[in-house]
Formats: sequence, C-alpha cells, structure tokens
Amino acid sequence: MTDETTQLGSIKISPRAIATITYHATLESYGVVGLTSKNLVNGLAQVLVKDPTHGVEVTYDGQNITIDIYVVIEYGTRIKTVASSVRNTVKYHVEKALGLPVAEINVHVQGLRISDPD
Amino acid sequence: MSKDIPTRPVQVLRKYPIDGQVLKPMIEASLIWLRTNQQTVNALNVFPVPDGDTGTNMVLTMQAAYDEIANSAEHNVGKLAHAVAHGALMGARGNSGVILSQLWRGFARALDNLETLDAQTLVNAFHQGRNTAYKGVVRPVEGTILTVAKDTAAAAENALQETTDVYEILEKIIPAADESVQRTPELLSVLRDAGVVDAGGKGLYFILEGMVRYLNGLPLDTALISVQPLSTMKIENFPDMIEPGQDFEVVVDFRPDLPLDLAKFYSDLEQMGTSIQVGEGDGLYRMHIHVPTAKLYEPIEYTKTLGVVTKASIENLVAQMEDIKTEDESRLNLTPVEPGQIAVVAVAPGQGIARVFASLGVSGIIEGGQTMNPSTQEILHSFENFPTDNIFILPNNKNIILAAQAAAQLTVKNLTVIPSRTVPQGMAAMLRLAPDGDPQEVAAEMTSAIDDVITGEITTATRTVEIDGVKVLEGQIIALLNGKLAVASDDLNDTTLGLLKSAQADQYELITLFYGADVQRQDVNQITDNIRQSFTKQEIEVKEGGQPHYHFIISIE
Repeated sequence: MTDETTQLGSIKISPRAIATITYHATLESYGVVGLTSKNLVNGLAQVLVKDPTHGVEVTYDGQNITIDIYVVIEYGTRIKTVASSVRNTVKYHVEKALGLPVAEINVHVQGLRISDPD
Repeated sequence: MSKDIPTRPVQVLRKYPIDGQVLKPMIEASLIWLRTNQQTVNALNVFPVPDGDTGTNMVLTMQAAYDEIANSAEHNVGKLAHAVAHGALMGARGNSGVILSQLWRGFARALDNLETLDAQTLVNAFHQGRNTAYKGVVRPVEGTILTVAKDTAAAAENALQETTDVYEILEKIIPAADESVQRTPELLSVLRDAGVVDAGGKGLYFILEGMVRYLNGLPLDTALISVQPLSTMKIENFPDMIEPGQDFEVVVDFRPDLPLDLAKFYSDLEQMGTSIQVGEGDGLYRMHIHVPTAKLYEPIEYTKTLGVVTKASIENLVAQMEDIKTEDESRLNLTPVEPGQIAVVAVAPGQGIARVFASLGVSGIIEGGQTMNPSTQEILHSFENFPTDNIFILPNNKNIILAAQAAAQLTVKNLTVIPSRTVPQGMAAMLRLAPDGDPQEVAAEMTSAIDDVITGEITTATRTVEIDGVKVLEGQIIALLNGKLAVASDDLNDTTLGLLKSAQADQYELITLFYGADVQRQDVNQITDNIRQSFTKQEIEVKEGGQPHYHFIISIE
C-alpha cells in the first residue's frame, strides 16, 4: 500500500505495520485500558484484543492514510480528553515512524471499563 | 533552590482539625504555585505532540478543580475533596491533566464521608490516588507523573512512622517528590536524551510544594521575587528580549535599619519596575529591578529611605541589547546546500577564520586546527545531513588531512579531500569553487590553487631546537614559511617582518594577516604600520582570525 519507488526499488509499508505502531501508541495513552474489535460491542471487558489488527483499521486510498481505532477507556476519566490525546499520540508516532502525513484518525470509544465505581 | 524568608508567622496557617475550609487554601496555594511555575514545566516538554504544553494543561486542570470549591463553604473534607476531583475531571486537559484528575479522584475517594483529615487518612489518600491513576493505563510508563505519584505515596507512608501530624507529613514528602522527579530521566530514555526531567512529574511536585510553601508562609504568586542567598543570586542572566519599560537595570546593595517587611518592599518595587529579585546575606540585601528611563533613580531613592545603601549600579539594557544584536549579525552565515551541488566543509582554528570561510561560500565549519585536531567522527557529522553526495573538505592543516581521508573511507558520500595544509591555502582553494561544476574537475582546480599562495605562520616556540638551519630557543617567536621554520627572534614585530622578507613578499601583491586570539589589538596595529612602511607597493589586509597559539597566520599572494 503506502509505497515509494526509487531507482533502487520500492518500499512498501503494510497496513499491519501501521496498525502495530498505532496499537502500541494507543496503549501507552493514559486512560485507554484496551482496544477492541469494532464489531463486538457487547461484553467488552472479555474481548480486549491482543492482536494489533483487531481494534485498529488502516485504510489507504492511494493518497491519504486513515486510521480508525476502537478503544475501551477507564471509567472516571474525561473521555473526550483521553480520546483526543490518543489521536494526538497516534498521529505523532505514526508520522514520526513513516515520515508520511496521516490524513484522518478516528477514535471510537466502544466502551468503558469500571474498575472503581465511585 | 532558593532559601526563602518567611513573610508571615508560621503557626497561624496550620489549623486543626483539618476540615474542608482548612484544606481549601492549601489547594488554592497548589494552583497558584503551579501557575507561577507554569513556564518552567512547559519548558520541559519533550514530545512535540500537539496537545498543548504540560504546564498549561495542568494549570487549566487545577484551575477547573479549584473553581469548583472557590466559593464553597463546605466543612466536610470528604465532600470538598470530591468537589475538587469533580472539577479536575471536568476540566482535565491533555494527558497530564487526565492523570492529575485521576489522582484527585483517588485522593477524594479515600476521604469519603470524613469530616476531617488526619495523618493516616492523608497517607491512604495518596495511596488511593496512586492506585486510581495506575489503573487508567494498560502500560504504565515509568519516569512520568505516575512514578512521582507512586514515590510520593511511599514517602508519605514512611513519614507516618515518624509523625502523626498531617502538615509534617506533607513537608517530609517534598524532598522525596523532588528526588523522584530528578530520577525520571534514569527511567525514561527520551527524557535522558533530551536532558530534562519529566514535565508532568515536575508539575505534580509544584502542586505539593505549593501547599507546603503556603504552610510555611512563603510567597506563591511570583517565582521571581523570592529572596535568595546572595551568593547564588544570578543577575547576569540577560533576558533574550527586553519588554517595554525595561530600559535600565538597577542593582542596589543596602543594609535596612529595621527588619525588612518583604511583602511591602515587593509591592512598592512593583510600582517602579519589573524583574524584581531580592537577595540576602548577613543582613545585607541586594535588590535587582528593571525600570523605565523615567523611573531610573526611584529604586535607589526608595531604598535609601529603608536603610544604608552600600552600593548602587545602573546598566543601560537597551544599549546592551544593541550590542548583542550586533554580535548576532556577525554570526556565521554558511552557504545553504542544494541537492546535487558540491558542498565544502572547512576546518577553521578560530571564529574570525570561520567567518572568512563562510563568506567564501563554505557550507560547514569544523572547529579545529593545530593541537586541536577534529576526530574523524566530527568530520563525518559535519556533512552527513547535507542534501548532496558531493562533499569537499578543506583540512587546512597537515595533521588533519589524514583524519579527513579516513572519513572519506567511512562515508557513503563522495568525499573529496582538498589537501590544504594551511588556512591561506584553504582560502585560495575556496576561490576556485564552482558549486555546480563537475566534482572531479572542480577538485583538480581547487587543489592546483593551493600552491598559488604562500603561507606564513607566527607562533611561540615550545622548546629549544635547531631545524632547517635555524636555531630556536624556547619562548622565542618563530615564523614558519609554508610549514618550514624560517625566522626566530625574541620579538613579534621582528619575526613578522623577517618572515615577509624571506618570503620575498615584495614580489607579490596582497598580504593578509589573520591575528590570533592572544594578540593585543594595539600590537597588531603597530606591526601592520611597520609592514606598510617596509612593503609600500603591497596591499595589506588585516583580519581577526581568532585562532589560538598562532599570533598571525599570513597569506601572501
């Protein structure tokens, strides 16, 4: 997908590679307790995924990279702030690693984990 | 850090029992002290992540937290803490703000339904804060605000062994929090690489320190007007920019007749100017202030009313600023490199020589020369970021040619060493540079130009020796002509003129002298005059070379 061709040959970066960067950056963001598959909206705590390609969707239309992230956030945090910090962190890490701009990052908050009810 | 002098009696601020209304001003103090140090925290940002600066985010979060209780008359400490946590949650900004809100959330939960705060509860609250904060992230990164929260909680628990006073526990955790902040670079490599401590951790430290400063009656509102030990007072720190109304810097040393009322002293000074600093040592005070021209003498007159002025000094900041600007303009103006062009890197032994090379069109300068040869690594670093593969290097010293050739073996770029053995040779070669030409042809052209110039170097002999038929005593001034010992005498003037004579400078057109860092300007003028008298037909140019060890580097062409 994301590729660059020079006289020496071409460089191709797979969506999976980008998903892996996204996955790790997301998990380092404060407030995120896991990623989850986008189709599983029920029983969230049980389905937190370990594989980076579930929970992250990377699409490339030939020009723009779009990343969709499906997260579970800790109950009691300010969800909007956490989500926007996920977006910023992922954008920073992916762009730093790729040297390519990311057009869109959508953070889907699929659920909350309640470890301490107030 | 600065040692401060209490401005208010200490006891009154430590009220018991600690209910909501006693806790409230402590939280306000946290906010104020954090805000005072906001820029300090901002300056620690490592990641250029565009979610704002850590200091600003934490201040906004604390502000939202305090706003929730600003008008509250709540005496129940648990309810008050919950209000703070709620405010922090609603106002959380950025990563650090979210973590801070979680710390408050845990803190508040530990105080649930409690009327007052005691030592055991405080320790529990720190632990709950830490636990709640750690639950909010899958992979807690150590060396961040989380680590500082953890270490602080542990310190609070230890302090409980020694005291059951809430205020004393708070005081005891401050050094631990500071230590924890200082340790963050050991735990997180990005901090170590950037040479900073963690911003969020530092912010948390200020929040805690603010409470303790309040309890000790120390000022919170401005970091600048704290009283420092006289010995550590740094007033040389020159501001980058002078704001309007900061025309003069006034520094007054004085011995007050009566104990100084610092709060009043500051507020009076604030009427006159800005950047106020006060230092104290052995009863002697030093006051520093920036004032507009109209109020130039006011601080001195004012201080005279308080006691005996022992010393006063005034400096014109605007004029100094102009000087600094001029200096900035004389900075190196290196030639930018276009892809595919030839880029030249020159080794220069002094600032002045570097400037001349820059004006001749080099794209990089490596500092070095006789007795300070740059390493191969330094040479490689000098050009690796250039967007071209064609790099020429002018070693300008026979000892550096080898290192340059070694660098050529180590780089993937096409590095050509133009074997200039002296600075004038390098300059002569630079005159033949055609950046867009064929690298091989240009290199040959530049190399041939090396011999167009005669180099004279004047230095001091470091030992007694006889070479090339010239006898030299240690400490004598010697002249090298194209690297060979030519003249030795006890006098700089005699040696310089002797060199020019043996070089038959009267057969050439231009003599350029680069004078070194340790030559007096008046000696330079004297010698130049003497040269002009002896060599009337030649053009004489004198330039600051700034090189060490060599009194003069002379080019004759």
